[in-house]
Amino acid sequence: METATFPGDLDALAPIRQFVEKAAKQAGLDKKAIYDLCLAVDEIATNVVTHGYEEAGLKGDLQIDAEITPETLVIHLQDSGVPYDPSSHLVPTPEDLDRPLEDRNVGGLGILLARAAVDELNYKHIDSFHVHEFVVRRKGHG
Amino acid sequence: MALDISSTTLGNSAHITLNGQLDSSTAPAVRELVDKLLANGPSNLVLHLENLDFMASAGLRVIIFAKQKSPDLKVYVVKPQETIVETLRKTGFYQSVYVVDESPL
Repeated sequence: METATFPGDLDALAPIRQFVEKAAKQAGLDKKAIYDLCLAVDEIATNVVTHGYEEAGLKGDLQIDAEITPETLVIHLQDSGVPYDPSSHLVPTPEDLDRPLEDRNVGGLGILLARAAVDELNYKHIDSFHVHEFVVRRKGHG
Repeated sequence: MALDISSTTLGNSAHITLNGQLDSSTAPAVRELVDKLLANGPSNLVLHLENLDFMASAGLRVIIFAKQKSPDLKVYVVKPQETIVETLRKTGFYQSVYVVDESPL
């Protein structure tokens, strides 16, 4: 299992995407699935840094790991900031998405994209850490 | 994996070319540039994205920012990669911007 740790700020986003891309290639995902997974992890990492750390005046790390099983690629993103559960977050409704851009609320677009981009997005607490779990099925494997 | 940003104004159109990766760490510079360019009151904002390899929702928020600042502004997205087109579709942006293969202006 591959693991890496980055300071919990927005400069971590690019190396986190590199980490995810490498794991996704190892897992044999196709180009679109690789992009989607990078997008999902990027959006959640952005929210963790912004809401979990920066807005709360906290500092901490983002730890990421990748586990390839015969059927899936599982990415864990762990932080120690203010708990940020994406499933409790409001996302734009279809009606919201039909609105002209000048009338749009900017919130929730990242979560919407993250949820749509992976097979599962799970969230759990382990001791004082929070873990976002991204699961992508490896088509044609296992 | 950074973002190269360049811009030019032709007539009443502000053009921005983005090469690289647009995420929450690189979006503030783009938003600042959009803010500056819109101060001149252009009718069109033309985003050249052929070499933009990644765009997070931070990029969408820059487009919303532009439209909220100048509601009559027409936003063109030139040659976005398929993954970015997908993002525009999923979020309902596709019908609110003009996605084109060639710079219209």
